[in-house]
Amino acid sequence: MKPHLQIRAVDKTFNRAGKASVEALRGIDLSIAEGEFVSIVGASGSGKSTLLRIIDGLLAPTAGSVLVDGQLVRRPGADRAMVFQQDSLLPWKTVTENVGYGLTLAHKPKEEVARIAQRFVDLTGLRGFEGHYPHQLSGGMRQRVNVARALAVDPRILLLDEPFAALDAQTREIMQTELLSIWQSTRKTVLLITHQIDEAVFLSDRVVVFSARPGQVREEVTVDLPRPRTLALKREPAFVALVDHIWKLIEAEVRAGVEQGA
Amino acid sequence: MRKIYDFLEQDTRAAGATRVLISTAFILIIWQLVSLVVTNRLLLVPPLEVATALVREFQQGAMATNAWATVTAVVSSFIVSVMIGVAIGLALASSRFLSLTGGPVLSALNSVPIIALAPLFVAWLGLGFASKFVLVLLVAVFPVVVTTEAGLRATDKPLIEAAQSFNASRWQIFTTVTFPYALPFIVSGVRVAWARALVGIVVAEFFGSFAGFGFAIMSASQTFDTARVLGYVILLGAMGLIGSVAFAALERRLAPWRLE
Repeated sequence: MKPHLQIRAVDKTFNRAGKASVEALRGIDLSIAEGEFVSIVGASGSGKSTLLRIIDGLLAPTAGSVLVDGQLVRRPGADRAMVFQQDSLLPWKTVTENVGYGLTLAHKPKEEVARIAQRFVDLTGLRGFEGHYPHQLSGGMRQRVNVARALAVDPRILLLDEPFAALDAQTREIMQTELLSIWQSTRKTVLLITHQIDEAVFLSDRVVVFSARPGQVREEVTVDLPRPRTLALKREPAFVALVDHIWKLIEAEVRAGVEQGA
Repeated sequence: MRKIYDFLEQDTRAAGATRVLISTAFILIIWQLVSLVVTNRLLLVPPLEVATALVREFQQGAMATNAWATVTAVVSSFIVSVMIGVAIGLALASSRFLSLTGGPVLSALNSVPIIALAPLFVAWLGLGFASKFVLVLLVAVFPVVVTTEAGLRATDKPLIEAAQSFNASRWQIFTTVTFPYALPFIVSGVRVAWARALVGIVVAEFFGSFAGFGFAIMSASQTFDTARVLGYVILLGAMGLIGSVAFAALERRLAPWRLE
């Protein structure tokens, strides 16, 4: 398969005035095929979120390049959309208005924005909440809006930055299965950042394991578990073995991070 | 008793009105009781006499003349000071150079008791509208400047990042994220500005005018007409209260998410 998203030798160093510079990423090479679901896991401080922001075009790499279908990424574009971890919904806009936000910014006509927003409201199970404001929704519902807002601009690549990290365990599992079914119906290329190893294995075709400080690719783990997947998969020995394997790769760094109080 | 508390704690208009009524009645009773003890009518007059004095002022037409002079000056100056305040706040928030160089000057000016310059303004601009207008402008503009700048700078970073990730232009980020976010902050500044504007107008009228609530208070106190003094003070208090309640309601309407 030809690479759809290509990350070539990306380095990122943050230079802060008056402080020591921080090397966040070193020599990242990754190729992702069209329609593939890839996750990146790693201890905190492995620069996962930084890489996602570079791919989205919010940050420029210090060296190296990001290509989408051979085109160099310089800034955010319509072919990529990001789902953020934190609450990044506009509190003074309703669910429908938030879902249509990206389209409104792109100067799409009002009727079209409303029509498309409604489609993704329905797809993400938000029907009946169209007129609600974010503060009236639960955390899970807010992340649905977040996902719907990214999907509404019809990106080819969906970038998810720990989208379910703030949710409780039960809601997170529901959201994982919903993300899977959305992915299966829309066939987007997905790159997910997470610190939940079981989430990464459950969702992905491939899990990229990062090491920390600076972030580097330690290993790429192919997940050849059958699809469609249900939550029952999480109890299969093959699934548990993969989670265990990845955990062993990052365990030492996670422990070091805990001891440093990070 | 439990039921009364439950009712008073409600967020309804009826409950709010009842709370205001109870506290007003309480103040009136205390006032009446104190005026039974303090019998020198130069120092204190009971509520009913103040009300009578107000009715007399109204019937004689003096109240309308004074109200017209005060309200036109304070409202026009207040509106202009809000516009100028927002404009300066915008400039400070959007330019690092301006906020670094102009910010200290403004905060120095803000801590000067400008009100003390009232006699000087009267000397420069004469008795009447112009001196009132400028003094109110100078005292009311600062809270708006400060809250506008603070509000624009306070915008949640993730909201801006999300807009950027949808390729929003700087202007779009301003109109769809930073300005709506700052609006409730600005309104809270406007609320403070209104209270300051009322102080400004009264002091300006003390020193330099032939009409207005401040002028009426001054002339009444020179003739030891305590009932008339208190009557006009109550009118000013009502103006302050109405403004405060209206702007607080506007603030809540603009930012219901901040309450929860």
